[in-house]
Amino acid sequence: MVSQTEQLLLALMIGVIMLGMGSSLTWRDFRRAFKRPQAILIGFASQYVLMPLIGFLLAIVLQLPPPLAVGLILIASMPGGSTSNIFTYFSKGDLALSVTMTTFSTLAAFVMTPVAILLYASRFMTSEISVGMGSVISGLFVMLIPVIIGMFIRRRNANVGAVLELIGGIMGVVIILVLILSWVPRNASLLATTPWQVYVAAAGIGAIGFFFGLITATLSKLGFRRSATVSLETGIQNGPLALSIVLLSFTGAIANDIVLIPVLYSLFIVIISSGVTMIYRRINNQLQQRTVALL
Amino acid sequence: MSIVELDALVESRATPLSMPVPLPARHIAELVETTCARYARQHAFTAVLPNGMYGNLKFDQVAQYTDQVAAYLRVELGLAVGDRVAVQLPNSLAYPLWSFGALKAGCVLVNMNPLYTIPEMVHQLNDSGARVLVLVDLFADKLPEVVAQTKVEHVVLVRITDLFPRLIGFIAHNIMKYWNRIIPACTVPVTTGLEAMAKGEAILRDGKADIHSYTADFGPDTLAALQYTGGTTGVSKGAMLTHGNLLANIAQIEERVAGNVEHGKETALAVLPLYHIFAFTANLLYFFHAGARNILVASPRPLSNLQRAIENYPVSWIPGVNTLFNGILNEEWFTDYPPPQLKGSIAGGTSLHAAVAERWEKVTGSPVIEGYGLTESSPVVTLNPFVGSRAGSIGRPVLGTEVRLLDVFGEDAAPGEAGELAVRGPQVMLGYWQRPDETALTLRDGWLLTGDVAQQDADGFLRIVDRKKDLIIVSGFNVYPNEVEDCIARLEGVSEVAVIGVPDAKSGEAVKAFIVPRNGATITADQVREHCRASITGYKVPKSVEIRSELPKTNVGKVLRRALRDEAHQPVAERTLGGTNG
Repeated sequence: MVSQTEQLLLALMIGVIMLGMGSSLTWRDFRRAFKRPQAILIGFASQYVLMPLIGFLLAIVLQLPPPLAVGLILIASMPGGSTSNIFTYFSKGDLALSVTMTTFSTLAAFVMTPVAILLYASRFMTSEISVGMGSVISGLFVMLIPVIIGMFIRRRNANVGAVLELIGGIMGVVIILVLILSWVPRNASLLATTPWQVYVAAAGIGAIGFFFGLITATLSKLGFRRSATVSLETGIQNGPLALSIVLLSFTGAIANDIVLIPVLYSLFIVIISSGVTMIYRRINNQLQQRTVALL
Repeated sequence: MSIVELDALVESRATPLSMPVPLPARHIAELVETTCARYARQHAFTAVLPNGMYGNLKFDQVAQYTDQVAAYLRVELGLAVGDRVAVQLPNSLAYPLWSFGALKAGCVLVNMNPLYTIPEMVHQLNDSGARVLVLVDLFADKLPEVVAQTKVEHVVLVRITDLFPRLIGFIAHNIMKYWNRIIPACTVPVTTGLEAMAKGEAILRDGKADIHSYTADFGPDTLAALQYTGGTTGVSKGAMLTHGNLLANIAQIEERVAGNVEHGKETALAVLPLYHIFAFTANLLYFFHAGARNILVASPRPLSNLQRAIENYPVSWIPGVNTLFNGILNEEWFTDYPPPQLKGSIAGGTSLHAAVAERWEKVTGSPVIEGYGLTESSPVVTLNPFVGSRAGSIGRPVLGTEVRLLDVFGEDAAPGEAGELAVRGPQVMLGYWQRPDETALTLRDGWLLTGDVAQQDADGFLRIVDRKKDLIIVSGFNVYPNEVEDCIARLEGVSEVAVIGVPDAKSGEAVKAFIVPRNGATITADQVREHCRASITGYKVPKSVEIRSELPKTNVGKVLRRALRDEAHQPVAERTLGGTNG
């Protein structure tokens, strides 16, 4: 697990990144996101209908023991994580839509996450799972406040905004690399003793989420840029929230079992998202209008 | 060509004009000076990069920096009146400084396209006899070969980010250099733009330059620029534009938009390259003269590069060409929230498709007024009025401009009949630089032969029917590609279209259409023909249709029908969806 100072540092870095993301946005971008509410609705549906269902089916297909199954369903029932915004930004997707979807799904988590957990996890475990609302709120703040500050800065001075955006972008790459590189040595023993089904579940939930998110959005004719955004939003869950829920609700050996998949998920999702983002970025670049070279 | 020869040329073309056009200044140097004094503390130019980083120049800074450039050229480099200075820059803060600076120095400006290949650069530099080349650092790798093959004595290398705030310029330059890797190393001796200006500043400080003396005896007939063009014959040659030509065109544009352009309050988007005559006169001269803030965008490729420029500034005027308007209309960020302050757009360069014009006006809620012009006429010949603009028309001739429509014998065509457009007015060039033969083909008794076929309404509005040489003759019937293109452009899913004539055994020539579909749309030849048959006569309906991902275009987005015709001689059979009926 990560230490207190590391957690603070992480939150600070995310704050800087979100400040940079905000500096790339205007109010118009959000108005545009609301102009096509179907994208937000589809994102919502794939987040809370598709993902928990995938988690549930995956747990059954892989015949996971109950504590692991609960961990999987937990992570599948989480709202979108703010890292989805970073990956959407790098993939040249619709950042305002991503931020909007993350905000909506986080607010809706108060109702939707307990409902999804009740619906699917009760089959594996009867003990009560308390969903910690405090961290949901603080998570939302960590994400939204710097975004709004960034937008104001860009309005005041586009040069400062552009520099912040650049710093946020660089910080984003750094944090992704740090997460991947520091995770493996930190959890080496865990990785060695984990059975393959757990790997498949932890990696698969994100990957399948990306896939079905993309398919659903594409079938709804959202266009590639928005579909890719919905895809990233669907697959990337708020991992830290899942961890804190486990720690609040369980203790001892069972807590260690339940927490396993959320922890592994947090590693795999960064790796898989990086790959998927590169593919989406390439496609988005190709779809940009190439007019005549006017230079 | 010597100055004496030029004077003879000026006198030879002196034909009385129907109406004198009041010039806003004696020469462009004076125009720059009075304009800069009038709007001193307002923004004149803002260069915007795709990521939103920007640099500003205020009018008084323009005055100060252009003096430095002029002092550098005359004192440091020792140039004389009439020496040619080639400026090869994309839209950036350096562009107005070096072009205006050269004119203040009494030199002749030679605008060059930065995308030119080495042979094209060599041709233009040798033909114009330029002694100084001002080049953007993005193309410094061309210098060794170019310098070796020309008489260029000095090279000034400028950056797109010159005169940006220091830190921003540093960051932006290094992103371009190390991340985008578009700035090659420079291996020939050069002076950087900022060094040159610093030298100019020192010269002025020491009182070693008298800027006003450089242009003291200049008048409207003094040569200002060599503007290169293929013209109607295809050979690249320099149209000699005088200070008076360009100043007259400013006054002529002003008269047509009077009351709609509020001096000192407008923001004009300069997305077309300033080295091209349209943006040169419209943005750099006219809107500058009107005290507008010009938003300079170096490259609208991809078009999303324009997003920050349009979002961050209250753009009120957009001069553009059909391809640009059409492309912008395919950008969702633009159509969702078109610039709210936009008052109008000016279309030129090539004919504006009615479908594009209608959609542009619907989306932006402001008119697009179409005009017509050529490099040889500085460029504006006709322009629609702001109110009462007519779709499909290029408007009436501007102030002090006479037009004639000539039949194949060079006689006036019957009223209402189409004929080759000939133009006379204060904006018409002196001739082509050192090419009397080419000049004689184009200028006859003071009349500029445009090579365009036009028709005139009873109330004077003109309509370009087509280029004389683009005319397609199908079994003896005239087909004007513009009309067919306009029709096809209205078909759902069509992004771009070009129509040419191809040799045909039965009809002599046959109509062929090249179509670029919008993203994701599929178009079939049958669909196109069915659509055309509903609105145009049978012989005009394309006999074959080819679907493409791109059309060959000039640097301002004019579709090159000539390139398509050249290709048509070696047709690629498998790409053609052509049918049999016509």
